[in-house]
Amino acid sequence: MTQTAKAAKKTSSAKAKAPAEAKAAPEVKKPTSKKKQALAFPFTAIVGQEEMKLSLILNIIDPRIGGVLVMGHRGTGKSTTVRALAEVLPLITRVKDDIYNRTVEQYVEAESGKKGAAAINPADVKTEQIPVPVVDLPLGATEDRVCGTIDIEKALTSGVKAFEPGLLAQSNRGFLYIDEVNLLDDHLVDVLLDVAASGKNVVEREGISIRHPARFVLVGSGNPEEGELRPQLLDRFGLHARIITINDVAKRVDIVKRRREYDEDPEAYLKKCTREQQKLQKKIVAAQELLTQVTMDDKVLTDIARLCMNLGIDGHRGELTITRTAYAFAAYKGQTTVTMEHVKEIAGLCLRHRLRKDPLETVDAGEKIDRELAKVLGEAEATA
Amino acid sequence: MIAFTDIVGMDLAKQALMLLAVDPSLGGVVIPSAVGSGKSTLARAFADILPDGTPFVELPLNVTEDRLIGGVDLEATLASGQRVVQHGVLSKAHKGVLYVDSLSLLDSSAVSHIMDAMSRGVVLVEREGLSEVHPASFMLVGTYDPSDGEVRMGLLDRIGIIVPFTAQNDYRARKKIVNIVMGTRDREDTDDELRMLRGLIEAAKEQLSHVSMTNEQIKGLIQTAISLGVEGNRVDIFAIRAAIASAALAQRTEVDDEDLKLAMKLVLVPRATRMPEREATEEEMAQDEPPPPEEEQPEAEDENAPPDNPDADAEEEQEETPDMIEELMMDAMETELPDNILNISLASKKKAKSGSRGEALNNRRGRFVRAQEGEMKSGKVALIPTLISAAPWQHSRRQDKKMSGRPAGALIINKEDVKIKKFRDKSGTLFIFMVDASGSMALNRMRQAKGAVASLLQNAYVHRDQVALISFRGKQAQVLLPPSQSVDRAKRELDVLPTGGGTPLASALFTGWETAKQARTKGISQIMFVMITDGRGNIPLKAAYELNAEKAPKEELEKEIEALALSIQADGVASIVIDTQMNYLSRGEAPKLAQKLGGRYFYLPNAKAEQIVEAALS
Repeated sequence: MTQTAKAAKKTSSAKAKAPAEAKAAPEVKKPTSKKKQALAFPFTAIVGQEEMKLSLILNIIDPRIGGVLVMGHRGTGKSTTVRALAEVLPLITRVKDDIYNRTVEQYVEAESGKKGAAAINPADVKTEQIPVPVVDLPLGATEDRVCGTIDIEKALTSGVKAFEPGLLAQSNRGFLYIDEVNLLDDHLVDVLLDVAASGKNVVEREGISIRHPARFVLVGSGNPEEGELRPQLLDRFGLHARIITINDVAKRVDIVKRRREYDEDPEAYLKKCTREQQKLQKKIVAAQELLTQVTMDDKVLTDIARLCMNLGIDGHRGELTITRTAYAFAAYKGQTTVTMEHVKEIAGLCLRHRLRKDPLETVDAGEKIDRELAKVLGEAEATA
Repeated sequence: MIAFTDIVGMDLAKQALMLLAVDPSLGGVVIPSAVGSGKSTLARAFADILPDGTPFVELPLNVTEDRLIGGVDLEATLASGQRVVQHGVLSKAHKGVLYVDSLSLLDSSAVSHIMDAMSRGVVLVEREGLSEVHPASFMLVGTYDPSDGEVRMGLLDRIGIIVPFTAQNDYRARKKIVNIVMGTRDREDTDDELRMLRGLIEAAKEQLSHVSMTNEQIKGLIQTAISLGVEGNRVDIFAIRAAIASAALAQRTEVDDEDLKLAMKLVLVPRATRMPEREATEEEMAQDEPPPPEEEQPEAEDENAPPDNPDADAEEEQEETPDMIEELMMDAMETELPDNILNISLASKKKAKSGSRGEALNNRRGRFVRAQEGEMKSGKVALIPTLISAAPWQHSRRQDKKMSGRPAGALIINKEDVKIKKFRDKSGTLFIFMVDASGSMALNRMRQAKGAVASLLQNAYVHRDQVALISFRGKQAQVLLPPSQSVDRAKRELDVLPTGGGTPLASALFTGWETAKQARTKGISQIMFVMITDGRGNIPLKAAYELNAEKAPKEELEKEIEALALSIQADGVASIVIDTQMNYLSRGEAPKLAQKLGGRYFYLPNAKAEQIVEAALS
């Protein structure tokens, strides 16, 4: 918390945006994690697993990439990494105390559209800065808590029908994390698919009719040996990062040492990592700002399309994801032009889970993508 | 009640529990042991050596989700008009022990919740309008009988200590146990011993932060983990904690060889997926997936690394295991695995335990897990959840004019309030593939057979069915893949299937039947055998356990197979026999087998994969 507050101060003043807000920042309320995680292992202190870390960072830079699915061995730091994310996330501006984390525009649009409501002047709306919410969706969650429901206490005590927002509301403009996503109950998967597709959550019940924005970056993790993911849900994830046991002794010794140091005195350890954490956060913010200036040559786009076609990927989500991810990756590298070099680095992440599943296939998905990439690149060079 | 100190034998399990008492961050202790070995008595006696007032919660196997996680206490809520929250079992075990007897029989959704709580140290309650966080940092003590099935690896991964499996058979020790049960021991002695033990543990707890461990020792444990093929990096930390706790118990300030050996024995060896001597092949190293295209962005790496990496210079010596460590490791292995290397291969196989996706929620059968919105006609109404969901609306509904005719005291329940019970039941079909890998098959059409199996697997994936893979060659059949949904694994096993040797057909039938029976106890009702063979069994059942028993008269062989086949048919297992025999060689064994099994027969060269799939599913 102290960290975020500090970070909050820094970023908002760096942006030189509304000094009054910068002052208010230390009191920033974490809407989602207020009571949940006290301390998390610092993101920048996590050894290895670069694929997962990069995927998460790219999704912060551009949430439209569509989330990450992290699949891999047990005990390799999947959930530690995702839970560590909150501390390096930049701040967002929302309408003050808005339970749906809406921007001023979203707020004005939704609220002035209501029956009998007076027009709202955007200038009058108070705002605040909050860290990007990271919401944990536990496996045992019930549908009413996910979507929101009547406030039971108010209803019992005063008979008022008030809407109590659920996890989807909390995660608007943030991250929704599901550990063991492959074990999630089907009815919850249905809800998620529905909301993820529309970006809206609709709750209709006698006297309650709520429609609120619910755009979130879906992050799932799991171990493929415990069960497979439903294909529709698989397709929803923009990126698919794999994670494996690190078999390098030196790295593992390093992991153990860091963990032990953290366990002994978490606060001191966090303090030690503050500089790194802030550095990363700054880099992400810079990339977010740079993103609008990034451009891509039509030729690169053609190559991407050809790659997807050669791999026999259904639909266009593959191309879209590669393009967006390549933009974000270029921005992260501080560059303003997307090249095939960028595409090469991220193609595996974007396409691995979109290849058709063929039990007879002995070639690994990653290898197949690399091979086709080499072909496309070869062709590209030949024509150039 | 038998006290901790009165229990005879099971020294390793006792040691394990003491380590846990010293350092609860070890997560827990799992004790696999045969029936009647006193494992649950020991686990319950664990409370004796913990400080007074430590919660000890026993988890019933049939626990429902709301009891496990917690939820709204209806009675208190209605009485007080305020939402009253009831803590679940997980949170009741906070700062204490959660004990599960028959851990391997625990429902997979309950296992998932326990795993979740263990990784967070809290329970997130997001249900029925509640959003709360309850502390739930507990030690898990689990006992189970391995013949009931294995514990999910994901859960074991969060538990620090796994006591190596030993069958207790020492009759003198048993006699002593009996004496204690009969009450021949002096109560006072027991009390004194317990007091002493508790004092020892308290002292060890204080000692814990003073114990140091050298870099070499840490490296040694990690090296061991790698050479045993232990999955994940979490185990390293458990091993180190166990070694330190062991040193603390001995009131030492430095970890010594004995501590390392104990840590290997209790933490690393039980998770081995391979024998250490053998150089791991590429494939095994990659295990599930080949290593990612790890072109690590050196830039990102540098930035993420802390400025001072204390271990950068140690890198060059990483490859060699110090001799001392290797010796210790072999020592730890030998003491625990005298002539039983099977344990190790078992560990590598149980990874593929059936995916819980094979279970589906339904409205009629299985075990009640939760209540959910639904039509009254579509299932059994869950009364209390329906009342809970109706309660908050009563006030406003009564003010509604349409309802004014109702008597004052009556509850007004709408269609939308109705919750029906959801049950968890394994669904889908279990396909048990039995692939004949004998010498004659190598001649025949292994490739085609593999193709047919592959398309069936593909289909099983789409239909969320489970698959198991049994191969038979040489002396006996072998379960390559226990019932699982991991089509990938089945495929991989099939790819590397060696061929050669005799055809132990009877053993295959027997093993398949056993697998089927086990699946039944887990709720899978539909089972189908898919046998890919020429039907020419030539090895009797007894060859599996008797030396020089590979030969048997033809009549005996036939009798065995017939008896088994008829029993399997009577047991309601459906079968398909895919004949791989060359036409001109066939003496009609495979059709006969199909007939005895009451199953369908296909001749492979004619059978298209799609036809087989169709037949299997019809």
